[in-house]
Amino acid sequence: MTTAAMKRRTPTLTVGAILVGLVVLLAVMSFLWTPHDPTRVDAAVRLLGPTGDYLFGTDKFGRDLVSQIMVGARTTLYVGVVAVGVAAVIGTPLGILAAMGPRWLGEFVMRVNDLVLAFPALLLAIMFGAVFGASTLTAMIAIGIATVPSFARIARSGTLQVMSTEYVLAARAAGRSRFAIAHRHVLPNVAGLLIVQSSVSFAIAVLAEAALSFLGFGTRPPTPSWGRMLQESQELLAVQPRLAIVPGIAIAIAVLGFNLLGDGLRDRLDPRLAGRR
Amino acid sequence: MILGIARRTAIFLVSVLAASIAVFLFMAVLPGDPAQVALGINATPELIARTRAEFGTDRPLTTQYFDWIGGVLTGDFGRSYVTRDLIGPQLADRLGVTLWLVGAAMVIAVVIAVPLGSFAAVRHRKVSGTVISGASQLGVAVPAFLAGILLVQVFAVQWRLLPSGGWTPPNQDFGEFLRGLVLPALALGLVQGAVLTRYVRSAVLDTLREDYLRTARAKGLMPGQALVRHGLRNAAVPVVTVLGLQLTTLLIGAVVVERVFVLPGLGSMLLDAVAARDLLTVQGIVLVLVIAALLVNFLVDLLYTVIDPRLRRS
Amino acid sequence: MRVFGATLVLAMLVSACSAGSSVSVPADPDAISIGFAAEPANLDFTRTDGAAIPQALLYNVYEGLVKLDADGRVVPLLAREWTVSEDRRTYDFQLRPDVTFSNGQPFTAQDVKFSVERVKTAWTISLKSKMDVVDRVDVVGPLHARVVLKRPSNNWLFDMTTRVGAMFSPSGVADLANTPVGTGPYTFATRKRGDSIVLRANPSYWGRRPAYTTVYLKYYKDPTALNNALLSNGIDVISSITTPDSIGQFEADTRFTVLQGTTNAEVTLSFNNAKAPLNDKRVRQALTYAIDRKAVMATVSAGRGTQIGSMVPPTDPWYEDLSGVHPHDPARAKALLAEAGLRNISLRLRVANLPYAVSAAQVVASQLADVGVNVSIEPLDFPAVWLKQVFTDHDFDMSIVQHVEARDIVTFGNPKYYWGYDSPKVRELLTQADVGTPEKQVQAMKEIARTIADDAAADWLFLFPNVIAAKTKVTGLSRNQVSESFDLTGLGRR
Repeated sequence: MTTAAMKRRTPTLTVGAILVGLVVLLAVMSFLWTPHDPTRVDAAVRLLGPTGDYLFGTDKFGRDLVSQIMVGARTTLYVGVVAVGVAAVIGTPLGILAAMGPRWLGEFVMRVNDLVLAFPALLLAIMFGAVFGASTLTAMIAIGIATVPSFARIARSGTLQVMSTEYVLAARAAGRSRFAIAHRHVLPNVAGLLIVQSSVSFAIAVLAEAALSFLGFGTRPPTPSWGRMLQESQELLAVQPRLAIVPGIAIAIAVLGFNLLGDGLRDRLDPRLAGRR
Repeated sequence: MILGIARRTAIFLVSVLAASIAVFLFMAVLPGDPAQVALGINATPELIARTRAEFGTDRPLTTQYFDWIGGVLTGDFGRSYVTRDLIGPQLADRLGVTLWLVGAAMVIAVVIAVPLGSFAAVRHRKVSGTVISGASQLGVAVPAFLAGILLVQVFAVQWRLLPSGGWTPPNQDFGEFLRGLVLPALALGLVQGAVLTRYVRSAVLDTLREDYLRTARAKGLMPGQALVRHGLRNAAVPVVTVLGLQLTTLLIGAVVVERVFVLPGLGSMLLDAVAARDLLTVQGIVLVLVIAALLVNFLVDLLYTVIDPRLRRS
Repeated sequence: MRVFGATLVLAMLVSACSAGSSVSVPADPDAISIGFAAEPANLDFTRTDGAAIPQALLYNVYEGLVKLDADGRVVPLLAREWTVSEDRRTYDFQLRPDVTFSNGQPFTAQDVKFSVERVKTAWTISLKSKMDVVDRVDVVGPLHARVVLKRPSNNWLFDMTTRVGAMFSPSGVADLANTPVGTGPYTFATRKRGDSIVLRANPSYWGRRPAYTTVYLKYYKDPTALNNALLSNGIDVISSITTPDSIGQFEADTRFTVLQGTTNAEVTLSFNNAKAPLNDKRVRQALTYAIDRKAVMATVSAGRGTQIGSMVPPTDPWYEDLSGVHPHDPARAKALLAEAGLRNISLRLRVANLPYAVSAAQVVASQLADVGVNVSIEPLDFPAVWLKQVFTDHDFDMSIVQHVEARDIVTFGNPKYYWGYDSPKVRELLTQADVGTPEKQVQAMKEIARTIADDAAADWLFLFPNVIAAKTKVTGLSRNQVSESFDLTGLGRR
């Protein structure tokens, strides 16, 4: 990165990292301490407004909103990790294979890819939920599978680019095996692109969890989840808008954070693209 | 070029066939027996067996598949297990509602995104450009149903300006139809507009960096003028791709907004059918959605060759 | 942009194809629109189960010989009067003259015979078994029908007030799913799936003309959307509010009146009585002691509803408040669990995936955790998955669902019912109640209610309230929802 590029750097990466860091921090902290038990129901303290003891107040079950947001951060991270993990673990090798393998195989993989792309994530998640029962895991595996094509495409185009570089051509001429080339040259060079895609897909997964929880296909109670907090707050929106605003902001922070992080990383990895998106 | 189109058409048709098999197999593993759900509690085993025979769900899977797909080819999606009505006309009806919603939302999205995105690109180092970028980032981070719920609270419940939900067909009362469409289309369109703004901005930025635009600017044209004269056509290529993708995801993605505004669209039909284990209906809806997605991809591919002559050779 | 143009044109074409199949609600003083949560799948309750169809059609489009009034009493409808023989097996119904079906056919004793017999032959829903006790129907005269039962049955006449007692015309059953033909004050006009059903006043109705000539039954899958529809003047009445925390909004607004009454819907925490560890009465009692039902009602239902303590709503003649049988007592719960030799037990709470059930499950799980019982909540798609796995396969430890049918306490006499409760004493009492005199019936039913409460056969968390919110101009709504019908006949306006 040139010094000129450094000077022009937008605060995207920093802001993204701070927001994501905040979510991670909340999740980690929740393992050690929360102000109250996030799942304990107490009718005596239901629907309290913000007080010293309950910073954001309580929900209709008398559960502390702060504690739920903290533990809910775990769910949010879990959601993203599963969805992105599934997509990356399946999509990356497929994409590399499509680029390095025989032409017919590449063609076949990309055709199947297009077919999977025709099943929108939400549709897959609803169908998976119906077959395997609604849960965070099934929903996120569905979102992950729907995201596989993005990873496969990026891995494939990245690999094709690397394969045409001179050092790879030299390595091939020296008789190195395809596997060795994939391991030594392709993966490290494609990794950056994949990390950027992971961050963006993470944001999409968080939004998908919220939508699915709203439809009843998401996280099972009583596990705290920002999406379900939103859904449970809906009937009380007119009376206690705080119940929707707090998880709404939490979701927005996480999505914004991962999107900005992705954009920032993209700029960092490819200075030519600085300022894009 | 003709060869290319023929090849793409063949791929499209094979994909549709593969998708139909995938959809059918998926339904076959769904737990819950449609016969039992239709009969309700306390149904006797004999009655369940009779109803299964009536539905044809007691036949071998291959027979069921060929029977179904043969019907679909002639436009007959079969009869619903629950409503005992033809599925085809229902599907067309519901699809109409969703297409209005999604169409209106996309118009809103484009009306927002093209000027704002282009402006943000031209001014990308100025405060105004950064503000727009930031706002679009925030817009992307809001779940569409939350936007919908908030819009209902403000415009329907507090101010009572617009209906909180429900659907009036356009041919019945066009004014009422438009009033009913405003809030759901806004809920969907604002969020999609934010997504699209980011793509328009980056596409325009790319175009601005192209040599011919630099030349144009060197000739003394303002960035905006240069863009309008030379750049928009090129910037349109990636934007159309994104539009195509948004369209396909929105057909089902609109379901959350349909739920908030109680619109009888395709998504709510799907949720109802899933809950009632109306498998034949689910199968029909999913097939239509998947074919729509494949069709949009296919059309975007074809459109490429029209918009960008450079891509025609490939 | 061309994609858009094409899309819009396509959308318009498709919409145009669906012309005439739907409705909006004009500001017509003779029209009323009523919002409901559950939409009928079709209009044929003889072959499709579900409460939504009789809710819309019974007493409004279809009528029976008798009906259930708002206080739970059996009153005459198409039968002017009836007599019961000494052995209580023969019912002689004198029919109302001048009654016609909406297709123009007169209503006679022939139709009574046709309708009752048709339940046994053509109906497929499980409720058809309610007519098993009928031996034969005789047409004594054009307006005199005689029904002979195989044995005396108090339940039979009551069941005649439900959908199985609806009167059909032989010329009107060709397309029940789309074209219902009855004798009621309203006729079916149109419907728009996923949206509404329209009923119109029957010009040739035998009785008092309804106050509203057009009734829009509007369906809102989402309870908040239903509330918003009334708040934004989209509808005139909410048939039943299912989000009790939002009722305050309507009470505080002078545009609306709010009525609160009772239903038949016992929100029941059911135990799998046939399977360890809940086959042990001490464990069931322990769980019942551990749960603070008032707190459950406070959280799930904003404190609205009735504590019942058994499976009998206050509108049944044999109701008594049994909510004190197992008072909230965590210490006693722990002691009973220790006595049963159980420590750290884990139970699966597999509930219907409906808001009230999922909410109640979270309260129950939290309270049971306090006495050392670990509960995992599994919401199941309702009805499909719940029916299959819990109801049919009995694959559960505990479940939560509203039991909405009238007098469903009789299910405790069926050992094969999903809660697997097997008590010869209760079965014997149920038979006595059915064949005995009305006085004997009340006495036996009370005994049954007490027995199942003592046995902790289930934990009746609370009786769901019937809360109706309506524009102040609407009058004649009934406070209680005890029949299968949302009865439109009494509606009026200021």
